Amino acid sequence: MSTAATAATQALTQPATRANADSSAPIRIAVKDLNFYYGQFHGLKNVNLNFHDRQVTALIGPSGCGKSTLLRTFNRIYSLYPEQRAEGQILLDGANILDPRVDLNDLRARVGMVFQKPTPFPMSIYDNVAFGIRLYEKLPKAELDARVESSLRKAALWDEVKDKLKQSGMGLSGGQQQRLCIARTVAQRPEVILFDEPTSALDPISTGRIEELIEQLRNEFTIAIVTHNMQQAARISQFTAFMYLGELVEFGPTNRIFMNPEKRQTQDYITGRFG
Amino acid sequence: MNAATPITPSVRQSRVRPSRRTADRMLRLACTLATVLGAVVLGSILLMLIVEGVRGLSPTLLTHPTPGPGTEGGGIANAILGSLVLTTIGIVVATPIGVMAGTFLAEYGRTSKLADVIRFLNDILLSAPSILIGLFVYTLMVRPMGTYSGWAGGVALAIIATPVIVRTTEDMLRLVPGTLREAGAALGAPPSTVIRSVTWRAASSGIVTGIILALARIAGETAPLLFTALNNNSWFNADLMGGVANLPVMIYQFALSPYPNWQQLAWAGALLITLAILALSVVARVVIKPQRAR
Repeated sequence: MSTAATAATQALTQPATRANADSSAPIRIAVKDLNFYYGQFHGLKNVNLNFHDRQVTALIGPSGCGKSTLLRTFNRIYSLYPEQRAEGQILLDGANILDPRVDLNDLRARVGMVFQKPTPFPMSIYDNVAFGIRLYEKLPKAELDARVESSLRKAALWDEVKDKLKQSGMGLSGGQQQRLCIARTVAQRPEVILFDEPTSALDPISTGRIEELIEQLRNEFTIAIVTHNMQQAARISQFTAFMYLGELVEFGPTNRIFMNPEKRQTQDYITGRFG
Repeated sequence: MNAATPITPSVRQSRVRPSRRTADRMLRLACTLATVLGAVVLGSILLMLIVEGVRGLSPTLLTHPTPGPGTEGGGIANAILGSLVLTTIGIVVATPIGVMAGTFLAEYGRTSKLADVIRFLNDILLSAPSILIGLFVYTLMVRPMGTYSGWAGGVALAIIATPVIVRTTEDMLRLVPGTLREAGAALGAPPSTVIRSVTWRAASSGIVTGIILALARIAGETAPLLFTALNNNSWFNADLMGGVANLPVMIYQFALSPYPNWQQLAWAGALLITLAILALSVVARVVIKPQRAR
């Protein structure tokens, strides 16, 4: 057995803080017959998948399998690029967000996103966190201060930056920058947070902190995370979806996917026979 | 390191053909010679400028206007002030147009045909002979208005500065990573907000540098001003509807004059304008530095 699979199994059997999958949790996002195209290229093929409320769902699979593509449909960030389009339905709380009448800015305030590389804006730490709030709400100074503080606390960054809120966010370390981006997303009070390989540019210690953070955020938000790292998926998610060549191969509670996969392809990937 | 560095034994035994080593030496020699030649020419220009320019410095240089023909003394105060006013008009007109057009090319028009056409035209304008721009503004403003004017001079300088600013603004905005724009959009910010609060800020030092370089470029332009602002021997009288004295045209006219004191003033003016452009270039380097250090 490969080391990756051993580690993933260990992560599962260790006395983790991770809660078990709650299949009875209400469905927050329902993906129905989703197809996605990059120009002529058919990137996602008939994907059907449910994301449960306040659960972490990990999307795993080899490079180019469509997991990031799927994530990028949930806030329609792909629509920045005119040649990309999605067909089918994605129901967020029952309403189809692929409907052209949906207000994109409103959707993106409800569905936040954290990217692979930290993306602090060239402004102060305070202004970074306040950026998203100021777009939609005119808060008095004291309330804004409180929101910024509570967001930074939720992102486990407050103690490190409370004395330098006026300094540039670009001056923080990579791990701190990523937590700043999480604080910025949390500050908008979204319902869903999308993580697109949030730790692949970070060192192991920063990675551990982000993982702990995601576990805490699960109490408040529905979370979808794309990861290349199977141990990470095993450590932090309740549900796992395995994708391959634009198709959803298998979806289920993380324990079952890793311990007892139904499909051969899933097993091969998890045991490191390809990928 | 010169071409005569002893060859180490390992190289001697190598299978590199001798002709390659000769070719390498020749190229190195040619490059060195070219560098020395360029530096010598530049150095002698600067040396002559400093020697002659310093000789032209006088207590009245900065306080008195240009003297009449055959009159002793005098200064170039009116030309300095006029140059400041003309370049200010030029840069104030060119900056908003240049930054906005550069933003259009980099942010909104990445894939549009219109942007390709504008980019092409801008590149042509960037290399257009400045005398053409002088003639253009002469036809457009000086002839209909019946007088050389400071406004016409400012407009001509603006036309020269604009393509420089368009180009640097577009280049600098393209250096801003796309993920930063996606991050802005992912927070629900409309494109205009992302541009104003995120991409402009991220590219600000580069854009400012472009503006300063455009300023340095128009500060020394002569040809467009010959047909537009021309000159004015009296003290600057705040009337931009008449001819306005300026350093480049003053240098041009005084250097060709038969009067020794005029020629001295031309040298002094040339020195001042060179120092000013040098200062602007240094400022531009300082502005861009923090970004490189990151």
